[in-house]
Amino acid sequence: MINTPLIRFADVSKVYHLESGDFTALDHISLDIQDNEFIAIMGPSGSGKSTMMNQLGILDVPTSGELFISGRDVAKITALERTHMRRDTIGYIFQNFYLIPLLSAYENVEYPLILKHKKRDESGKATAMLKAVGFDEALSAHRPTQLSGGQQQRVAIARALVNDPKILLCDEPTGNLDRKTGFQIMDILCGLHSEGKTVIIVTHDPKIAEYADRTITLEDGRIAA
Amino acid sequence: MKDIFFDLSVRSVRLNLMRSILASIGIVIGVVAISSMGMLGTNMQLQVKDQLSAGADTIVITADAVRMGPTGSSSSSSSSATGITKTQLNKIKLAAGLTSKLVPVYSTTTQFTLASTPGRSTVYGLNPDDITKFLTISNGTNIGGINDALVGATFATNFDLKIGNRIRIGQDTDTSRPVLRIVGILAARGMSSDNVNTDNAIIVSDDWYTNQYGGKDVYKQVNVIVKDINTIPDVKTAIDTKLNTDQKKPAVRISDASSRLSGITSSLSAITTFILAIGGISLLVAATSIFNVMMMSVNERIQEIGILLSIGTEKGEVRRMFLYEAVILGILGAGIGGISSLIIGYSVVSYMIGTTKYFFLPESIMYIPMGMAIGLMVCILSGLYPAWKASNMDPIDALRSE
Ligand SMILES: Nc1ncnc2c1ncn2[C@@H]1O[C@H](COP(=O)(O)OP(=O)(O)O)[C@@H](O)[C@H]1O
Ligand SMILES: [Mg+2]
Repeated sequence: MINTPLIRFADVSKVYHLESGDFTALDHISLDIQDNEFIAIMGPSGSGKSTMMNQLGILDVPTSGELFISGRDVAKITALERTHMRRDTIGYIFQNFYLIPLLSAYENVEYPLILKHKKRDESGKATAMLKAVGFDEALSAHRPTQLSGGQQQRVAIARALVNDPKILLCDEPTGNLDRKTGFQIMDILCGLHSEGKTVIIVTHDPKIAEYADRTITLEDGRIAA
Repeated sequence: MKDIFFDLSVRSVRLNLMRSILASIGIVIGVVAISSMGMLGTNMQLQVKDQLSAGADTIVITADAVRMGPTGSSSSSSSSATGITKTQLNKIKLAAGLTSKLVPVYSTTTQFTLASTPGRSTVYGLNPDDITKFLTISNGTNIGGINDALVGATFATNFDLKIGNRIRIGQDTDTSRPVLRIVGILAARGMSSDNVNTDNAIIVSDDWYTNQYGGKDVYKQVNVIVKDINTIPDVKTAIDTKLNTDQKKPAVRISDASSRLSGITSSLSAITTFILAIGGISLLVAATSIFNVMMMSVNERIQEIGILLSIGTEKGEVRRMFLYEAVILGILGAGIGGISSLIIGYSVVSYMIGTTKYFFLPESIMYIPMGMAIGLMVCILSGLYPAWKASNMDPIDALRSE
């Protein structure tokens, strides 16, 4: 059991059933990812990067094959258990930030804590997380629409981290940011990796991929390199 | 607020305040309709019951309609009209026993002139000795002379009458137009179960009546006032066996307050049910509008729902968030509806019934919380499907929607 990887793709396929016929977005992927790895996933548009991330984020389950996360077969657990894994084990950072528009920056970060503990946060964790990404109290009171892209992504990172997940999934986190801001975000992610997180990042940018220990390239749903 | 999902719902409602208020108006209308209509019906019933119980000790005997002349005969005039005859009256007297009081009643409608104002009303002809058996003179004295008359309370108020005023009876074209002098005003009686409704009527002596209209000893009705209310069934049976010798063609119809009451209350409760159904229909319309607004809210927030689900929100929590929204709309609608019902219901009852003395009785006022509860329930029911739909979205599809 010692050698069980944090994440294991065992012959995973994802097939979308479309009116025009079946479309294979992930084609027999086998891959192990160890604890505290920093992985970059690259590949042309439509090659299945986001589909793979959605499998990792347990937003979806494989059509065939098995995906183990923290030793658990994601297809064999209940929907509620999957929801709880999304909440506790995985932090998801999106290209479009996806903050909850009706909540302030602070409340966005507090939100996963509320999901987990079923009550408002009194530990100060949300504030600490925001402080770590450079947010003071005044800025934390802003709604997402009042923040710049870089600021929103910082909030999204704080939100993803607040429940102390093992795995950080980042689907083109810098895709909607200018280069300078993008590198600032990458610096934050590198810091998290050195603190022990397993970071998986999808990117088009080879410069960004340089941060990673290992790069996986997808092509037509298959691992090319 | 403790619950973040409640916060989210409040903010969503606030964000779309106009729309939410418009949707709630449907509930407001439904609640007002249900509760004020319910209260109106109940107040009506309570009032009728109260008034009819005034004549609870009275059996009313009228000539049976079967005895009327052949259909199409238009020869009937007041003097030849059917009624209770002298012979029948004597039989009733025998059957009713010594403890019962008998009141033979003449009545017709007449035109009259007061000062120069013409009018039309019922006129009752009663033996002056009988009047005090069941009527109360609140002002003035009983009929003494042949041309004396009493008037009902409403009648007196409407024409601003005082003791000593005179009424001219009959049409303008009549050659002889006798004049009556008002000697007394009766206490208000309401709608009475003994079929003598004096509030809007003129009461004259039996002698004056038969002089004027003829038909001596043929009474419109005979009221038997029993001493003990429990003997009513026995007295009724006794009268029935004595007078209705041919059961196939009964000579008289015998009724009492309870038989009249049940007839009236059952038709009143039919009316109440009908108006409640109208309230129900308006709530159905309200349900549609709440459903619409909830569906709009769900459809506008698909991406937000996707975000919530993708970062680990349980389905039940998403459902709860949308149900809260329905509850907020419901509380808004039911709250405003409850207050409006109090005001509108009170006005409607006061206007339609003329009294609000039954309004705050539990059986009447309970329609407000009941209407509010129904309104709230309608909201929650309307929110069930939208909430279910939101919680069962596929997070990936939801996230991708713009
Ligand atoms: N829900 C879906 N239904 C049908 N096809 C989909 C769906 N999601 C993704 N695809 C298809 O799968 C392929 C891979 O998509 P995706 O993983 O988003 O690519 P990438 O992120 O590498 O650009 C694309 O051709 C896309 O059209
Ligand atoms: Mg993608």
